[in-house]
Amino acid sequence: MATTTLTPAASAYRTGLYAWLTTTDHKKIGIMYVINSFVFFFIAGLLALMVRTELVSPGLQFVTDQQYNELFSMHGTFMIFLFVIPMLAGFGNYVVPLQIGAPDMAFPRINALSFWMLPLAGVLLLLGFVTGGTAAAGWTSYAPLSEDRPLAATGYGQDLWIMALVLIGTSSILGAINFLVTIFKMRAPGMTLFRMPILVWTMLVTSVLVLMATPVITSALIMLFIDRNYGGSFFQPPNGDAILYQNIFWFYSHPAVYVMVLPAMGFVSEILPVFSRKPLFGYKAFVFATAAIGALGFSVWAHHMFTTGAVYLPFFSIMTFLIAIPTGVKMFNWIFTMWRGQLMLKTPLLFAIGFLSMFLIGGINGAFSAAVPVDFALHDTYWVVAHLHYVLFGGSVFGVMGALYYWFPKMTGRMMNETVGKAQFVLMFIGFNLTFFPMHELGLAGMPRRIADYASSTGWQDLNVVATVGGFTIAASMTLLLWNIFLSLRSGPPAGDDPWEANTLEWATSSPPPAYNFDHLPEIRSERPLFDLRHGRTAEH
Amino acid sequence: MSSSPRSRTSQTAIFALAVGAAIIGLSLVLVYFGINVLDEGADFISGLYPPIAVTTEGAQIRELYTVIFLIAVAIFIVVEGLIIWTVIRYRRKPGDDTLPPQTHGNNIAEMVWTVVPTIIVIFMFVISWQTLNVVDTASANPQTRIRALAGQFQWQFDYLSPDGTKVLYTELLPLVSLGGGMTVPAGRTVHLSLVSNDVIHAFYVPQFLFKRDVVPGHPNQFDFTVNESDAGQTFRGQCAELCGSGHSIMLFEVRALTGAEFDAWLADKVAKANATPAPPPSGGVGTTVKLSALGVKYEQTSISAPAGAPFRIEFENKDPSTPHNVAIHEGSPTGKAVFTGEVFPGVATKTYDVAALAAGPYAFVCTVHPTMTGTLTVQ
Repeated sequence: MATTTLTPAASAYRTGLYAWLTTTDHKKIGIMYVINSFVFFFIAGLLALMVRTELVSPGLQFVTDQQYNELFSMHGTFMIFLFVIPMLAGFGNYVVPLQIGAPDMAFPRINALSFWMLPLAGVLLLLGFVTGGTAAAGWTSYAPLSEDRPLAATGYGQDLWIMALVLIGTSSILGAINFLVTIFKMRAPGMTLFRMPILVWTMLVTSVLVLMATPVITSALIMLFIDRNYGGSFFQPPNGDAILYQNIFWFYSHPAVYVMVLPAMGFVSEILPVFSRKPLFGYKAFVFATAAIGALGFSVWAHHMFTTGAVYLPFFSIMTFLIAIPTGVKMFNWIFTMWRGQLMLKTPLLFAIGFLSMFLIGGINGAFSAAVPVDFALHDTYWVVAHLHYVLFGGSVFGVMGALYYWFPKMTGRMMNETVGKAQFVLMFIGFNLTFFPMHELGLAGMPRRIADYASSTGWQDLNVVATVGGFTIAASMTLLLWNIFLSLRSGPPAGDDPWEANTLEWATSSPPPAYNFDHLPEIRSERPLFDLRHGRTAEH
Repeated sequence: MSSSPRSRTSQTAIFALAVGAAIIGLSLVLVYFGINVLDEGADFISGLYPPIAVTTEGAQIRELYTVIFLIAVAIFIVVEGLIIWTVIRYRRKPGDDTLPPQTHGNNIAEMVWTVVPTIIVIFMFVISWQTLNVVDTASANPQTRIRALAGQFQWQFDYLSPDGTKVLYTELLPLVSLGGGMTVPAGRTVHLSLVSNDVIHAFYVPQFLFKRDVVPGHPNQFDFTVNESDAGQTFRGQCAELCGSGHSIMLFEVRALTGAEFDAWLADKVAKANATPAPPPSGGVGTTVKLSALGVKYEQTSISAPAGAPFRIEFENKDPSTPHNVAIHEGSPTGKAVFTGEVFPGVATKTYDVAALAAGPYAFVCTVHPTMTGTLTVQ
């Protein structure tokens, strides 16, 4: 990845590239995380465009059934495991040590190790395309479809998938330990737990989730590997149990949803106060809500399995409903942060507002699936595809875009273009809703997810055409993003230390920050040390 | 900047209370008036509504959906409205650099938006639990027992004796393009058991508003009753759990007959099944044409057959797990279909009996893979 990442000036080529390949600086590693994640975001996006193109009309025009299954399986795998999770970890890696006034992460070499596992895992997954077919049993790879080569008609793709996921899981676990130690042991003097920026809190809870859940899925992956290659029978009847795989898989993968959303909530909670010129409304309530989501997140996994006829329905239904409460608390705290503020409608704030309004839909349409009988109708239809994209795209991706526009000046020392940024937001917002809103209707009309083809008599074509148009609109918005990054790196105006008049410590050093981050730190007497420096503590009262 | 902190605090609390009251109030109003209004008409949101249910259980689920949908609409309108209003109302005016009041929070407001959502979600849980207990209970004495066997990539329906121990009649479902599926008596409770011997499938009929997974090693079942008024109708169904390359063609139909028609239909089928099987059609079929497919391509791109006489196609599908068939169309692959062979996954061979064709050019094509084509010359 590094060779595509870095094109330093020719004279400094050797030293520049060598410096990046061998770095243990959390900022360089964070930037490499972000770039690596974007590479896989674009690969996964192209796969999604191929899926959408195939679905434009009844009949198979471009791919075979098997290739179609590979496309959506790899789309989901890349998006979740090599884009959203590492992207959030990447921003965390860059920002968390700066925000707590630390010189680096607690274990810089382990930090580098956990990054370099990711491009390796990505290459393993991509190898599937040239070794007779990738994994084709969905990103969930349910057994027994994923067990047997003849069943899923795959080559070694499924084994490569297992190996790649074990690598990514190991990377996540190492990263989580690193974050926890950094947050608990390396905070600057004066920064008590309740003076930490809210992003640090969300990274803390996320790391606990990763640490508790990831070893569990690793066990499922290894059992699956043994089943496939050494004649095990963990998940295949009569001696094994197909439902067991789902229980283990979702015990990780539901908390993983919060791993994919909590840091994005952290980004939004950094952006809203700065651009509203107000503190975050209900800081402590927000912290408790984050912890509550993390705790409840471990008790709802079987809501992915309501139709299996093998789970205790009322328990998982009530727990799923309850998780809406802390999420609702956060939503109102965000809105009341803006309420009576002085909103500067710059690009980062636009994406944060986009997050609020789209994540709201992702939360509300989740309530339908929490109601078990309604889920009997909606499960495994396009409704679920709509729901998960309103959470992971409407939530996480809008949060990531906001974070990119917010911290890009800090990372590069240059501002991004506001006009192009706003155009990207508008295009992405429209494209996103065009793509995913019609999927609610498709699901209600009975279109199952993961089908390569449908008959014209089903009447699903019109909505599929709308969704495909939306997909290409999103792609167009991403070219605007690349154009904006290019413009900024070439000729963006210098950012200065603190272009947004922000609150937290990363803005108290130069842009980009020097190695080891700070010459001296301001006094930390609240969660907004830079606000205190600018306005004095008296402005509070 | 000079307004007193106390008045700001109470303003926030009052505003929060107003928002909470608006959500609950609008939910109540919509749910109270909404169900009738929406059932009557309101076509403009019909796209966000499930199809009209054809089973008594499905009707209950649709009612539950309606209540949750209306609450969801109320929450959406109030919260999304609040976001938009806040952004417009409190955007910074050019040149206005005053620092807004630094409100850190408000405990009454936090209480409001903890308690209000709790009331709403507990309510939604209770009504969904009540519905669950109605729609997902096994009746003690189902009148008809059917067993669905799902396999890559086809369905088989066994009609069982009333005690469930004996198979009276088996219908191995050809693909839906050839017609067929499960036949059920309207107005009677049907107990459907679900069995798979390979991977996980799911039995899904959109107009039932219901699906249940067909899990290998874990037999599932559910009861349903098709409305008597829906007798004579056919409903489309489909596998809803990814089961491999032929997932999208794993279709079936559910045909509802009146109770009396169903009894006659089943008695007829049972009688025929018990009779000695008819000899395979022979005589007159002279020519046998060989055709094979590998790598989602026919290995022969042009074949020929005699005009005016029935002939056979011996079709070998060499693609493991990938379903293919042979369909014959007049002139080009998009022409009128004159013969459609059964789709089946490889590796396997099937023999199709094709009725006499008039001389002329034909195209043969795989129904599953329209890119697989070849030409057939009848002379």
